[in-house]
Amino acid sequence: MAGQSDPHISLFSAEEVEFMAEDELIEIVPNMRMDPLNFICGDFGPFLPQIATQVPLWLAVALKKRGKCAIRPPQWMSVENLTRVLEGERDTQGAFQALPFHYVEISRLLFDHARDDIPDMYMVRSLVEDIRDVRIHKVETSLEKFSGTSAVKIPNLSAMEVNIIRPFVGRALQAFYKHDNPEKIPDVDRAPSGHTRVANNEPRRPLRR
Amino acid sequence: MKIKSVKLREAHKGSSNASFCSISWDLHAHHLVTASSSEPSISIHDPLLPSNPTRVLRHHRDGVTALALSPNSTCLASGSIDHSVKLYKFPGGEFETNITRFTLPIRALAFNKSGSMLAAAGDDEGIKLINTIDGSISRVLKGHRGPVTGLAFDPNGEYLASIDSIGTVIYWELQSGRTLYTLKGVAPDIGSDTSTLNALSWSPDGETLAVPGLKNDVVMYDRDTAEKLFTLRGDHTQPICFLSWSPNGKYMATSSLDKQVLIWDVNRKQDIDRQKFDDRICSMAWKPIGNALAVIDVMGKYGLWESVVPFSMKSPTEDIPSSRSKNNNGLLFFDEEDQELSMSGSLSDLGEDNHGESEPPSRKRLRKQSAIDDDQHEDVYDELSFPKTESRKKVHRGDKENSDKQKDGLRSMMAFRPKMQEAFQPGSTPPQPGKRHFLCYNMLGSITTIKHDEYSHIEIDFHDTSTGPRVPPMTDHYGFTMASLNENGSVFANPCKGEKGMSTLMYRPFSSWANNSEWYMRFEDEEVRAVALGATWVAAITSLNFLRIFTDGGLQKHILSLNGPVVTAVGFKDELAVVTHVSDCLPSNEQMLEFRIFNISKGTQPFKGRLPLTPGSYLTWFGFSEEGQLSSYDSKGVLRVFTSQYGGNWLPLFSSSKERKSGENYWVVGLNASKLFCVVCKNPDSFPQVLPKPVLTLLNMSFPLALSDLGEEALENEFMLNNLLLSQIQKRIEGMAGEGLDTTSLDDEAFDIEAAQDRCIFRLIASCCNGDKLVRAIELVKLLSVEKSVRGAIQLATALKLPILAERFNNILEERLGSKTGVSTSLPSSKHVPSIKADTATERSEISEPIISSSSAKLSAPLFKRKAKSSDGVKFGKQKTDGDQTANLEDRTAGPSHANTVKEEKKLQVQRPSNPFLKSTVK
Repeated sequence: MAGQSDPHISLFSAEEVEFMAEDELIEIVPNMRMDPLNFICGDFGPFLPQIATQVPLWLAVALKKRGKCAIRPPQWMSVENLTRVLEGERDTQGAFQALPFHYVEISRLLFDHARDDIPDMYMVRSLVEDIRDVRIHKVETSLEKFSGTSAVKIPNLSAMEVNIIRPFVGRALQAFYKHDNPEKIPDVDRAPSGHTRVANNEPRRPLRR
Repeated sequence: MKIKSVKLREAHKGSSNASFCSISWDLHAHHLVTASSSEPSISIHDPLLPSNPTRVLRHHRDGVTALALSPNSTCLASGSIDHSVKLYKFPGGEFETNITRFTLPIRALAFNKSGSMLAAAGDDEGIKLINTIDGSISRVLKGHRGPVTGLAFDPNGEYLASIDSIGTVIYWELQSGRTLYTLKGVAPDIGSDTSTLNALSWSPDGETLAVPGLKNDVVMYDRDTAEKLFTLRGDHTQPICFLSWSPNGKYMATSSLDKQVLIWDVNRKQDIDRQKFDDRICSMAWKPIGNALAVIDVMGKYGLWESVVPFSMKSPTEDIPSSRSKNNNGLLFFDEEDQELSMSGSLSDLGEDNHGESEPPSRKRLRKQSAIDDDQHEDVYDELSFPKTESRKKVHRGDKENSDKQKDGLRSMMAFRPKMQEAFQPGSTPPQPGKRHFLCYNMLGSITTIKHDEYSHIEIDFHDTSTGPRVPPMTDHYGFTMASLNENGSVFANPCKGEKGMSTLMYRPFSSWANNSEWYMRFEDEEVRAVALGATWVAAITSLNFLRIFTDGGLQKHILSLNGPVVTAVGFKDELAVVTHVSDCLPSNEQMLEFRIFNISKGTQPFKGRLPLTPGSYLTWFGFSEEGQLSSYDSKGVLRVFTSQYGGNWLPLFSSSKERKSGENYWVVGLNASKLFCVVCKNPDSFPQVLPKPVLTLLNMSFPLALSDLGEEALENEFMLNNLLLSQIQKRIEGMAGEGLDTTSLDDEAFDIEAAQDRCIFRLIASCCNGDKLVRAIELVKLLSVEKSVRGAIQLATALKLPILAERFNNILEERLGSKTGVSTSLPSSKHVPSIKADTATERSEISEPIISSSSAKLSAPLFKRKAKSSDGVKFGKQKTDGDQTANLEDRTAGPSHANTVKEEKKLQVQRPSNPFLKSTVK
């Protein structure tokens, strides 16, 4: 697997991916009263005690750190659903189960900051970890079967998984391309990400900072 | 025969082999008690809320073989293989005492009908009769040669019947302790198998004793002579091991070793229903209210067989014969508990209160049903038309019993009569053993309590943790059951407890400059039923129908007498609203309630009147909205908001039946002008638990509108809602203006709503036009508040090619403009106003005819109007000028005073704002 610390081969660090995931919306139950917040990305609120509202994850975490809200874990993050997903992942070798694009990051953030809001926290955590392991293993094995193609399509791959395989896949595709057309030799090192977009059609969001 | 299957649930995990289990209902059908002889625990289940955890009593050291509930359900007795008989309080389950011990396992227990005596028997020889008051053994009855497996007190209190495992039945006379009859070998010999026990049972009227027979049947014996009367024989293929009379004695349930349960119509001596189970049913109990049978099998699995008796037949609990006595509070030794129970308002409370009043109608009912009017006494027997073999000795019974019997009969009838609802605090949930429950939950915060052995632990939490005061939890030795909360403080009250315990009211401010500013009030011979809290006052309503008002410092300020028993009370700033009963509820099960609003600081009563409820429902929530509108919510899920329109009325603003997604109940917390805040509870729960913290859901208000042919329910709803809001705001503005306060913010708000209302009306007009409801569209246009919207409507009508409509809209606009300008400009003399109006009116009539003939001076006035109008038309759109008006204009321009008019027009347009002036001067 490609090392993430090397900027040449990894596009984003895990922190950066997490940062992008913080734009996902999540439901919180505030315990304070506050007027609506107007952000560039939209208006959130008003915040009324005990009335659930949707906010970006980063805001939820910030409020949670100050003890101003409880985060409601998303629907998919229930023991039943995760158990089902895990079974599905184990049963079907080729395909991936539908999970949010940022499931790794969201669950990581919630486990870190809102552990008291997640029922059966340990169970959920171990399930998510299992799912992640199974999926990454699957990604690796499917990459072994990788042969000369110009594009790879894997539905339901999540951001973190894409990020891990992106450099390798990119370079591998470049290499295939190079071998196919020896006369046009692109500079692999200068444009590692350029033409290849693996899997998910999710548009890349520009960084905020 | 229909095949219904009864699902059984595991109550007791015993060993894998069969063991005798017992099951029993309490008097009010609130609890089911089960026990198994393979396990030392007794479980108290709540059949209404199966999600509630069962309470488990573990006091025995070995399997529990026998259970008995005292007839008033305040005391539970259990007998066990560990040789002891224990008594518990019920339904609390607190261990009371080891009332007796044997040298061998217990097999049977029975209370007499007053609960003062407990009979216990088992593998020992001898049946012990124990006085439950002091635990003394009043008598030991010896005579059985085998282990006694069944005991039954005669409902009339004269005899005890017992049966042993070898099939001998003995009648004992309680007075003397003598054996009256010994019937040897009448029942099957079950040998040493302890998983089935021979049982026997008196019919509820005490006239017959049912005993399992030798031919897989039930044999009925006469009460006084012990003669065999008749048998119930049917499809049981093996001996009967348990039998149970329905509460009215019309039906009987029997279970047999062949794993079947049969239901019999005793009078017809025929089985009417049956059910086959996986295991032997070893105990059954009829639900005392309703039509259900609780069963438990030898594996410890229990279940409820609903609607046992077909609907075409009389309910098993209808016309309960009157020899059952519940009236004498026999169980003296639980007196305290008993009282506490009735105070904390299980239904016995109200039942007792109106017992007297309700006597005549019920008596009538009894009489009607039995169609014999001379003697109540006779009726009872007539109903159970047994074969006449038994009818000899019954005249014998004393007359004193007769009156008792009548009373009891009525008493049991009460269960089916609608009841006046009890007092409650809005936002409270019923106590649940071992769990925290809400004493008060409102938009501000919550008060929760949990009961420990000696005291309760109360916590006060505010939803808004940033601004709400932080209140330390408190230990409550009073056992508060009512509470109310606002931003300044909290008030608590408890009902009378025990004999000496007085009802206490406590107020606890959250912040005060003085120490010890909480205060207590005690009430003697009076108990608090409801409490409420306002800006600077505390109100408590007591059982004497007193409304007591205290200041927040604890000064007793007012004591008022209310009209009837209180239902609930709620405070908001200066206002206190109290709901009371007007009378007993109607036979159609409608609560008769009345509300009053008091203004405490002014000492006035702005409103009072009947509180409407949906038929057949009762009040479940009562409170003020955030804007101070009084609101109520009933058990059928209808929210009503009080409005001063039409001299004070309740508007139905929400109905859960329209909103409800299947399987959801709404537990109302509060509301504001447009939203209802509630906690959504999944069925079958109707109220939330303290943990996890309930989250409020916002629901939109909606009028229960008729299905209109327009098909725009949402818009019509919005329209009505906005109207309501406007009227509320206007009332507040008036109120504030009256007090000389600044109303700008309210004015702004009113303006916003008006604007929203115009948008809403506009959309309604659009759909009216599309739906060809032109008259309605006209009506709507008249309701528009801003001219611009009217113009928009005209534009709309023209765009939709409805020239007639556009014309009418136009007229409305003109009329409005005319009257408005007339009023707004300060004319020197008011008599000009009508003249202008008249002018516009004439103008309207003239509108289609050319006016060239008139002089230029005369022309100018209408001309302006028309010009303005036509410019509107141009501005707004399209073919407006197509019709008559263009013709007019052309005519005009073609007229002799062409230049003049044009000039005039210009001038007028420049001077437009002061036009009416000009017009009047020109005239």
